Amino acid sequence: MGKVKLKYFSRIRETIGKTSELVEIKSTNIQDLIEELQAMGEQYSVLKGRDFAVYSAVDQNIVTDVKTSIEGATEIAFFPPMTGG
Amino acid sequence: MLNKIIVAVQKSDFDLNAEMENLKLKTEKAGAVVFFVGKVRDLEDDNLKYLEIESFEELAKIQIKEICNDAANKWDLEYILVKHRFGRLKINDNIVLVITSSKHRKNAYEASEFIMEYLKSNVPFWKKEVADKTQKWVENS
Repeated sequence: MGKVKLKYFSRIRETIGKTSELVEIKSTNIQDLIEELQAMGEQYSVLKGRDFAVYSAVDQNIVTDVKTSIEGATEIAFFPPMTGG
Repeated sequence: MLNKIIVAVQKSDFDLNAEMENLKLKTEKAGAVVFFVGKVRDLEDDNLKYLEIESFEELAKIQIKEICNDAANKWDLEYILVKHRFGRLKINDNIVLVITSSKHRKNAYEASEFIMEYLKSNVPFWKKEVADKTQKWVENS
């Protein structure tokens, strides 16, 4: 893998303290990526989803399975449950 | 396939009268028009200062277009419009507009509810209520 743009929204954005960042990653699926990001700081533990469900979108496709491949992805977004309407 | 689908994710407000006039130009075969407007309401136990709506705009547009296409396949509709706002909104400000139009009312009513149900939990918007005593992210009930 190479550099990927990570985007954060809502409570996740507030906890991590940024809206997006460009990160060099090794992981090939969402689950491994969340583990990998833990090394960057305690704030990334929010992505483990202990307090609320964490959703992700790979290149603007919402994924429901954390084992979904992220190989070749250029943008991965993380966000809590959606509350539109 | 219905090609009169309009989707917008925007900061600005929408004009209900202008939307109605615009719809009339494109739906001469429709006899029913359903407008659903979601607006900001005050809280039960605190005074709302404002509602902050955050959005993942590009993905929100994709998700809304998808549900509009689903509705168009499910019901016989002449027109669908969804406009959803983001940013800082005050009490009574408009949040979302869903317009569905069909020959007869049943299709327009049902499609409107179908789209709104989807918007509630499948489109990337997040609401934060900032009130006198507290501020919190809204959770789906």
